[in-house]
Amino acid sequence: MLQEADIGVGISGVEGMQAVMSSDYAIAQFRFLERLLLVHGHWCYRRISMMICYFFYKNLTFGFTLFWYEAYASFSGRPAYNDWYMSCYNVFFTSLPVIALGVFDQDVSARLCLKYPLLYQEGVQNILFSWPRILGWMSNGVLSAIIIFFFTTNSIFNQAFRKDGHAVDYEVLGVAMYSSVVWAVNCQMALSINYFTWIQHFFIWGSIALWYIFLVVYGSLPPTFSTTAYKVLVEACAPSILYWLTTLLVVVSTLLPYFLYRAFQTRFRPMYHDLIQRQRLEGSETEISSQTEVSSELPAQVEIKMQHLKANLRQRNQ
Amino acid sequence: MPGSDSTAHRSKSRRPKYSQFSQQELPAFKLILTPGYVISTFIVVGLIFVPIGLISLFASETVVEIVDQYDNECIPKDFRDNKVEFIKNKQTNKSCTRTFTVPKQMKSPIFIYYQLENFYQNHRRYVKSRSDKQLQSKKNAAHIRECKPMGETDNKDPIIPCGLIAWSLFNDTYGFSVKGKDLKVNKRDIAWGSDKNYKFGADVFPKNFQVGDVGGKSLNSSIPLSEQEDLIVWMRTAALSTFRKLYGKIEDDLQANDVITVVVENNYNTYDFKGTKSLVLSTTSWIGGKNDFLGVTFITIGGICLFLAITFILLYVIKPRPLGDPSYLSWNRNSTPTPGR
Repeated sequence: MLQEADIGVGISGVEGMQAVMSSDYAIAQFRFLERLLLVHGHWCYRRISMMICYFFYKNLTFGFTLFWYEAYASFSGRPAYNDWYMSCYNVFFTSLPVIALGVFDQDVSARLCLKYPLLYQEGVQNILFSWPRILGWMSNGVLSAIIIFFFTTNSIFNQAFRKDGHAVDYEVLGVAMYSSVVWAVNCQMALSINYFTWIQHFFIWGSIALWYIFLVVYGSLPPTFSTTAYKVLVEACAPSILYWLTTLLVVVSTLLPYFLYRAFQTRFRPMYHDLIQRQRLEGSETEISSQTEVSSELPAQVEIKMQHLKANLRQRNQ
Repeated sequence: MPGSDSTAHRSKSRRPKYSQFSQQELPAFKLILTPGYVISTFIVVGLIFVPIGLISLFASETVVEIVDQYDNECIPKDFRDNKVEFIKNKQTNKSCTRTFTVPKQMKSPIFIYYQLENFYQNHRRYVKSRSDKQLQSKKNAAHIRECKPMGETDNKDPIIPCGLIAWSLFNDTYGFSVKGKDLKVNKRDIAWGSDKNYKFGADVFPKNFQVGDVGGKSLNSSIPLSEQEDLIVWMRTAALSTFRKLYGKIEDDLQANDVITVVVENNYNTYDFKGTKSLVLSTTSWIGGKNDFLGVTFITIGGICLFLAITFILLYVIKPRPLGDPSYLSWNRNSTPTPGR
């Protein structure tokens, strides 16, 4: 039965470890089942669905800037960035925040998860991983790529980008666009999660810092190895105020649509965990708890489903 | 139930050691988008961006830029229908004189660029066609693998510098004069320092360059590559199909309404692929050359943020909604509100 079920939970006890060995989760006492479902079940669902959506988003943002650049390079296959930038994107500059999201994120604390068991319905009803949500994140990625590419190429066009008159070339545009992508993707992560421990801070801001450190280190390798990245940050980009201003402009413009959406959504279409968070913030927990305790009725969709099942059962018995 | 009550009687507790990290109870800052946060974020962004935009726009406006497209005008009228033949013919006179007026006072240094359009210096095959090893040191002269078809002569002698990028070196020249007096063009320090010192060797001299099919400028074979600044600037490939490259600097001031006369040697063949050539003179400010886009966009985004802040203030004031109303929950919204709520 444990193996037939979607999720089998075994309890390790005096009777032996047989149940534990054939189960997906093992707990020590039956009373831990409540915590397993309501706290960890809810957290896991939110973490996994957010992580998958965010993964699509960050790779779409990165990949589509490459695609738009191809349109301006007569589709010859020249990537907008140096090869090593691209190889390290998913490994060094954007992987740690995702791990922090997938392992540590909590939208509602454990105590409140247990207090409002209705929160578990978010997983049952598949609210956080519905198609509109997935497609929404993907379009956010495409839109971000569009904003990043066009704002960068129009700000750092063909004019001099520094006071000493040097004109823009491939190296500088690549670094400017890539910096904007790394900043935007990591700051988007900072906007999406609501739970900041020192770990999240370290991973998110550390990944951004790691990009600049990488540029300095890679750029100091001999030119036969670092080709187009040779001294590009220390010599060309860092002294250019235009480069830093462009990064600021592009990052804020990229995050603005999502921020606007979140501001509207938490106000007009708050989800259950948004309500709980707000209640906790304002300290008035009695209002929401009394309403859920008073009504012993199940949510409407569950009611409807139960009526269907009852009708089917009645038909079969006849 | 076995095990549930007997834990208290066991001599050894199997409870794992408590730590904040393993119990996921680390001290945390929980960010929640309350109305206060949203409005203050928009206002802060708006108040930072609008001034930055105004300053950037002002800096861009102080830059004086003269752009003169000469590729059509510099073809004599008889050859207007057959530009490719004109440019390829070695006998024709390629000199052409252009004049323009300085609109505002230009303080030195004034930078001279040549601007090419529809020239895809970022094409993959074109960019690949160079040999960094050969450019760096004399002992790598035979490293021409990447440079085909411009790697070696018919006698299998390596070309230095090899490859299509070097072969297509821009070869128009410009001579400037104002009020009958020649303006001196400084052609030193136009390339990046790292290129001159590391990428292009001081012991590498051009050899077998532009023999056979001529694609662009020839190089003086007694000057080492590290001092051939035109070549170094050209070989730093551009990002987009419209680009400018630094040609030189004028170290004198130019006054408003000065008439500048430029003698252009119209050698470079952009007519085959419908590219255009322009001459650009520009001053710079702390932000670089003339580009209004950054300033305008900063102001626009700042303005949008301030507008959104006002909108949100109005929304929160006009339509306050009681907090914690479960009839807004997604699974209750499709049905009629049940009694007791």
